[in-house]
Amino acid sequence: MAQTTTSKSGAHGAHAAHEAHHDHHELGYLSKYIFSSDHKMIGIQYGVTALFFLLFGFFLVGCMRWQLAYPGRAIPVVGGLLETLLGKDMAAGGVMQGDLYNAFGAMHGTIMVFLAIVPLAFGAFGNFVTPLQIGAPDMAFPRLNMASYHFYFFGGIVMFASFFIPGGAARSGWTSYSPLATTAQFGQAFNGQTAWLIGMVLLINSSLLGAVNFITTIIQLRTKGMSWMRMPFFVWAQFVTAFLLLLAFPPLEAAGVLQLMDNVFHTSFFLPTGLVVDGAQLPVSGGGSPLLWQHLFWFLGHPEVYVLILPAMGIVSEVIANSTRKPLWGYRPMVYSVITVGFLSFIVWAHHMYLTGMGTKISTFFQTTTMMISIPSVIILTALFISLWGGSIRFNTASLFALAFLPMFGIGGLTGLPLGFNASDIFLHDSYYVIGHFHYVVAPGTIFGLLAGIYFWYPKATGRFLNETLGKIHFWGSLVCMNLVFAPMFIQGFKGMSRRMYDGGATYFAETDPTALKLNIYITHSAIALGVFQLPFIWNFFASLFVGRKVTNDNPWDATTLDWATPTPPPHGNFTHQPVVYRGPYEYSVPGAAKDFSPQNQPS
Amino acid sequence: MLMKTTLQFAAVLAIFAAVSILQAGDVTGKVTLKGDAPAEKEITPLAKDPNCGKSYSKPATTRHYVVGADKGLANVFVYVKKGLEGKTFPAPAEKPVMDQKACLYQPYVLGARAGHPVVIKSSDDFMHNVNFAASKTGNDTFNFAQTKAGQANEKIFKNVEVLAKLQCNVHPWMFGYIGVVDSPYYGVTDASGKYTIAGLPDGKYTLAFVHLKAGEVLQEFDVKGGASVNATLEVK
Repeated sequence: MAQTTTSKSGAHGAHAAHEAHHDHHELGYLSKYIFSSDHKMIGIQYGVTALFFLLFGFFLVGCMRWQLAYPGRAIPVVGGLLETLLGKDMAAGGVMQGDLYNAFGAMHGTIMVFLAIVPLAFGAFGNFVTPLQIGAPDMAFPRLNMASYHFYFFGGIVMFASFFIPGGAARSGWTSYSPLATTAQFGQAFNGQTAWLIGMVLLINSSLLGAVNFITTIIQLRTKGMSWMRMPFFVWAQFVTAFLLLLAFPPLEAAGVLQLMDNVFHTSFFLPTGLVVDGAQLPVSGGGSPLLWQHLFWFLGHPEVYVLILPAMGIVSEVIANSTRKPLWGYRPMVYSVITVGFLSFIVWAHHMYLTGMGTKISTFFQTTTMMISIPSVIILTALFISLWGGSIRFNTASLFALAFLPMFGIGGLTGLPLGFNASDIFLHDSYYVIGHFHYVVAPGTIFGLLAGIYFWYPKATGRFLNETLGKIHFWGSLVCMNLVFAPMFIQGFKGMSRRMYDGGATYFAETDPTALKLNIYITHSAIALGVFQLPFIWNFFASLFVGRKVTNDNPWDATTLDWATPTPPPHGNFTHQPVVYRGPYEYSVPGAAKDFSPQNQPS
Repeated sequence: MLMKTTLQFAAVLAIFAAVSILQAGDVTGKVTLKGDAPAEKEITPLAKDPNCGKSYSKPATTRHYVVGADKGLANVFVYVKKGLEGKTFPAPAEKPVMDQKACLYQPYVLGARAGHPVVIKSSDDFMHNVNFAASKTGNDTFNFAQTKAGQANEKIFKNVEVLAKLQCNVHPWMFGYIGVVDSPYYGVTDASGKYTIAGLPDGKYTLAFVHLKAGEVLQEFDVKGGASVNATLEVK
């Protein structure tokens, strides 16, 4: 606590000086919107860019789903455009070719994880909300924060541009397994995979800068009275997430550089001796290990799953506490659980690799740790469920998305257990069951959490509310369609449908099990409907900036945390006076209190 | 006066050109097989495949030695191997077509021009992939899939390659071969072993007869308004 006390005074001093300095300082357009070092603007930059990539990632999979439902048929509306932009080898006659399917598949995963969800969950919400919730005037390193966004932005540009280079974008899966990733376009000096690796290095640098900044900010810039156990759960989630990024990404960055060497300079870090491709031995020295790539990738890959989910859990916790008008049930166990999840997430990665033949002892170890990590995850989810008990729930769009997160993430998590056991994973591995499982975690799970956050904090960021009617159309349409899209995938997986089939499995199922193929068509129609139900949100998001109902109160949701103690929208420097924290984060409906919420900065 | 002379000169040139075009002819002939061809094998996995098997009332067999009447050998790629050095030719009017039909490549052996497109299509309503591993000739490797009847892709073999092998990995018995040469003077023997190479200008040439199993035989010959060149290949 000594450290905290010191930091508080430091933060206070910095804050006061900052305000004195900035009181009458008007920022120019470039400084305010492009080269901003204000955490809120950077958060919004992250958010808008990430939402663009979310839409783009959805477009990619929309094209893929068309091919899966109607193999060989020209993609409506955009097929001709794809042929014009990407050439006949990619979309002859508007028909998605195999190479394009592979490229879109690899880039859908990459874009959704590294350019959409993580930047939205960590970059946007983390940046915008964390300093506000801990009572800080900004992040600890504002310029580092700006650099973090710029690295991310350039990483995104490289990834996006890679679609248009000769040979197209990376096509070896979002996991870029060696030796496939190196040999897929072997001999082409600069190919999609090279661009992918350069893009990844930029994105990883962005995350590392962000992680260092978040950790420092949360440790050093908590305001007076904001002890560890008075921190909102959202901040705890971001804190653990930052450690995951900081510790898990560097091995992948190193691996990325090594694979870049394999691709460009024909080294053999991940290429085995005597590798034969297309009937000819590859002209490389060999002696490398393809398994090493998998280990390094999944050492990031699995903590990355928690990078996706923890911020969403944080958002959902804030919204649920606020909308139930109750303290979170089991705040402390939730905090201990999120820390435990963070630690355990580093020792479960090889459950993605049961089929590599790494041995039963290793498999048993990772199977055990995987089962263990489900315990703290279940504690958090259970605490959130119990928090609903006896609550007088305010059903608005934000709370609906947060409430839907619980069962959706529950389905996603529980369907992961059969994949964690290596005996059942052998059957389910690489099938549509896996696709169903992790999409339940990330799409109706994490994305619903993030949408809850957008509806919840939009009034603070813009000074206007999002339209509730459009919001509810968005919510109910998304909830129904998400389930129609992903639930049938479990059935397809049990039927043995491989996740990699360019023709949707028609070659194997047309005669033996046509039902599995019909599901492809239903899923595609549902995905299109899901896209249609995002239109009200897109309209709402932009139109409400101008016509949304104005916020008349700095704390429109009657919330308790410090993010609502700022002017709306918060000015540069955030608070008019340095806030002092007197109580825990969720003091709702305190017996004897005048109102049903007691803000953290309200003296006892 | 000058105009009249020019016209006369042009007329003479035109007549001369017409005569030189006329000094060309079709090369025809027949390829026969010497020895007894081994019996073709039934393609068992094709019969068992739920998509492919239903196209056949009797089992499909390999096409190693397709022998017709009077020992005529089909699927022999015939082309002018020597005698055309340094010459260039206009682009072909039509694109050769390799089809994937009922889980077999049709035709089994096709001829094509280097540097000009070949159409590779599918007549099957399920997935085939067309995998071509380039040999040392500098052609580009390709591997693409087609999932629906009527889908067609065009590919260009940059360099001469006799015979370029296409393979489907979904149906591992499917092989198709393309003789890629740099002149329009090639042909493939039909079911009776006969071939035609049309419009070969007069001159001295070497004709190559290439068969997948029986190998290659060369024949030197002269063309004067056409020629007939036969060949015999032996079972190996």
